Amino acid sequence: MKKTLKWLTVVLTGICLMSLSFPLSSAAQSIKVGVILPLTGEKAAFGEIEKNSFVMALDEINKAGGVKGSKIELLIEDDTGKPDVARGATEKLVSKDNVVMLGGGYGSSETYAIAGVAQQKKLPLLVNTGSADKITEQGWNYVFRLNPPVSEYSAAAESFLKEVAKPKAAAILFENTLFGTSGSKEFEKSCKELGIQVPIKEGYEHGAVDFKPLLIKVKNANPDLIYMISYIMDASLLMRQSMELDINPKLFIGGAAGFTLPEFLQNAGKASEGVFSADLWVPSLPYPGAMNYYSNYKKLYGKVTEYHGAEAYAAMYVIADVLKRAKSYSPEDIRAALTTTDMMTVFGKVKFISYGKKINQNKLPTYLVQWLKGKLECVWPKEYATAKYLYPHKPWKQR
Amino acid sequence: MLTLARILILAGVILIGVPYILVGIGMVVGTMGMNDLFQMTQTIVIGVLIGGLYALIGIGMTLIMGVMGIINLAHGQILMTSMYVTFVSFKYFGLDPYVSILITMPCLFLVALFIGRYLLDPLIGRESILPENQVLMTVGIGLCLTEIMRFIFSSNYQSVRTSYANKAYYIGSVSFNYPLTIAFFIALMLTVGLFLFLMKTDIGRAIRATAQDKEAATLMGIPQRKITFSTYALGSALDAAAGTLLLPVYYLFPDLGGPFTLKAFVITILGGLGSTVGAILGGLTLGVYESLGATFVSMGYKDAVGMVIFLLVLTFIPGGLKRVTKI
Repeated sequence: MKKTLKWLTVVLTGICLMSLSFPLSSAAQSIKVGVILPLTGEKAAFGEIEKNSFVMALDEINKAGGVKGSKIELLIEDDTGKPDVARGATEKLVSKDNVVMLGGGYGSSETYAIAGVAQQKKLPLLVNTGSADKITEQGWNYVFRLNPPVSEYSAAAESFLKEVAKPKAAAILFENTLFGTSGSKEFEKSCKELGIQVPIKEGYEHGAVDFKPLLIKVKNANPDLIYMISYIMDASLLMRQSMELDINPKLFIGGAAGFTLPEFLQNAGKASEGVFSADLWVPSLPYPGAMNYYSNYKKLYGKVTEYHGAEAYAAMYVIADVLKRAKSYSPEDIRAALTTTDMMTVFGKVKFISYGKKINQNKLPTYLVQWLKGKLECVWPKEYATAKYLYPHKPWKQR
Repeated sequence: MLTLARILILAGVILIGVPYILVGIGMVVGTMGMNDLFQMTQTIVIGVLIGGLYALIGIGMTLIMGVMGIINLAHGQILMTSMYVTFVSFKYFGLDPYVSILITMPCLFLVALFIGRYLLDPLIGRESILPENQVLMTVGIGLCLTEIMRFIFSSNYQSVRTSYANKAYYIGSVSFNYPLTIAFFIALMLTVGLFLFLMKTDIGRAIRATAQDKEAATLMGIPQRKITFSTYALGSALDAAAGTLLLPVYYLFPDLGGPFTLKAFVITILGGLGSTVGAILGGLTLGVYESLGATFVSMGYKDAVGMVIFLLVLTFIPGGLKRVTKI
């Protein structure tokens, strides 16, 4: 009796497993696109905003008829903010799910891992956020990037420094990941060109409880400008602890990423007031649909969106456009369609060009934003400004 | 108690004295100035304050280690769970985090009592391929706690924004963070309370007896198994207190447990397994040297500095600080 039961269990388990591995045939009609984003872990806040935007754009596209009559299906995988998981997820999407192309890529380290797999398997990848310069500098012809590389994030900030702030000394603090290291190097270079000294340039490990030992050093050096490249919670803690130690440079500038999310305001509270940040997108930009996207997102999810979301939303439209123009869904045809992309999105014009060491890179202007009375306002360049910048920074104790 | 105080003072002098002597030499030689002295003082203040919390985390771990003989690899996750309890009582009931210690400690005590009684205790004395199946169990418990919290609260970052979270008071120009100072003193009180409990009460004596020799304790009529899993709960309650004290200065997400389990592990080894005084010293040492490392070496190597101290202690005093303190 016992033996029969045992065999029965084995057989039943076998049947269950087999039925799992045969997907339902109804999905065959749709075009599968794989997207890898950090949905859990430390970068989940960014992953969520991007996933929501992807899904929102997807619904709009599918409602409008999809691509050549068939619908697009997104297979969204979680990279948990770790490169090794990102690699595994990509391999799964490519070899098991047979997606026609890939999208997503948030953290630079993860995106680099994803891009490596995409190139190796010769499957086109449209990166929407991962911004370390080297991702498009490897000569990987299957990797396309929608957003500007991190070295260009600070372009608007630099012009602001040149024309308005004119600081003499800067401290650069960055998370010691691919994104932070690469951004800080470029900013240091620009500082040299602008004649700004950099007495302190230091990386840190993310997730620290106490940034004060580092900030004391900054306080001692007394710079006019503190430039920080951080993800969300480190950004909030850095600002809160700067306020606590009463560090008063003429301005704080964040290098996008953590400094533009609504969560930054929530977590940094009062310490967010007057903080500048590089930014790639604001809803008031004169791109078709930008304001619509912003208000629809707010209506749909009850939350505010920012540049990461716009990137994802635009990426979905680019993917749909590419699939429409591709002769077939073979990787080579999709790649060919990607190279000839020339369209307007909520995020700006998308056209992949090669310059310097980079290939298949989209080029876009950047902006400088500032937190003013709990709102993120565009302050530079002047023609896009929604509010007058507040400069210099008001000492914490006088507030 | 007297010897204990003496050891603590001596250790403190050595711990903080060494960096100051270095700065003193620097000032005499002329390469350092008043600014460096200020910087050093501020760094040590920060290190000691955070070290107080580390000590509290470490004591919980070492207590469990001493009595159960296992490394509790769910320690950081228990800390995280207690932070969520604090978060909920702040957000939905408007309780101040420091008041909610009165809730989190009993809460986590009960949870850990359940874990100890029904998940860990049954594994004692069972034959298995791996001798340390209780340790494996704690890993599983840790994973479960993380995923349960993720299920309830999602992966989003949460923080408790109290009015005093970033207040500081100044002695000279050295700033003391308000919440961390309060946390330090509460940690101190809890530690002293624990000592009195272990030294003066019957249950405390029973716990110490169990830690020293289980069989002899049983012969003396001590319900050894009950004591064992109650100690797990006691250690977790201390851990919970540390979590609650940490929340106002930090933030919260389900994956926070891992790094803190590692910290607790390092502190326990530094202090000598099972030594309570050692755990206090271990916590303070880790706090101070991490912070010194961040200021004078590099913030990026903060954890590396902690690990170097860890290696040095293992190499030169393999029994941890317990060998020095004898308690």
